[in-house]
Amino acid sequence: MLNYNSPINDTKKYPEIEISEVEPIIKLNLRGKNRDFITKVGKVLSIIPPTDPNTSSGNDNLSILWLGPDEWMVYANDKNALNDRGILEDKLFNEISKVKLGSVTNVTDHLVMINIRGNKVFELLSTGCPFNFNDFMNSKGATTQTLLNHVDIIIHNKNVNDLNLFVRRSFSNHLWSWINDSASRL
Amino acid sequence: MFLINCPYCGERDQSEFSAGGEAHIVRPKQPTELSDDQWAEFLFMRKNIKGIQLERWNHAHGCRKWFNMVRDTSNDKIHAVYKMGEKPPIK
Repeated sequence: MLNYNSPINDTKKYPEIEISEVEPIIKLNLRGKNRDFITKVGKVLSIIPPTDPNTSSGNDNLSILWLGPDEWMVYANDKNALNDRGILEDKLFNEISKVKLGSVTNVTDHLVMINIRGNKVFELLSTGCPFNFNDFMNSKGATTQTLLNHVDIIIHNKNVNDLNLFVRRSFSNHLWSWINDSASRL
Repeated sequence: MFLINCPYCGERDQSEFSAGGEAHIVRPKQPTELSDDQWAEFLFMRKNIKGIQLERWNHAHGCRKWFNMVRDTSNDKIHAVYKMGEKPPIK
């Protein structure tokens, strides 16, 4: 990635909570409505985009999050996948956008990924989030778009008490400060 | 807490939604043939009912999809939600 500036570039540890920015990570937004689109994405990525609301699918390298009935987000599970970034994006763009099956947008620099893990993860989120985490916290791979301290976020429940949070880059510093402040008071 | 059942995402808090006003207002097919009064009628005039009203809502901080809702404006009771393009379940 050219001139990638990490907005946070930090890791913080609190009792029972660890927060870190994980960057740079490839993120692509996919939009499409018909069955051909879903089949094509499945073929290119070897993962079928989930059609059930608030779920995700993935393999060792990539995760696909359900964002809406015609919207998904693909992101890489580790930083090393960055080398394949261009290839992945080009492949999807050529197979989907160019043939007008749907749209592929690179949102790598648009969203910042923050990893939060520890026993008090959901306690932390509940301090500023209107979402009901009762079922969410027990379902691995669950995903949701909601608000945290009035900021739009996407949450991916990666594992037990281990989640990735995506926030717009312009809000990331503010939210990072808020999360740290909140975590220090738990 | 005021919960709204998004037809795509499920039950969410009202703070994730934004209201889009009265539903099922049909745009005139030939706006250029309308008088100013008729155009203003379409553009600005709303029923503003006290009671059961059909409304448009947007899940702005979730899936960003528009949908319709049957809501009693006097007590905020939501009778039904239905997708865009569908007919209202209550007349």
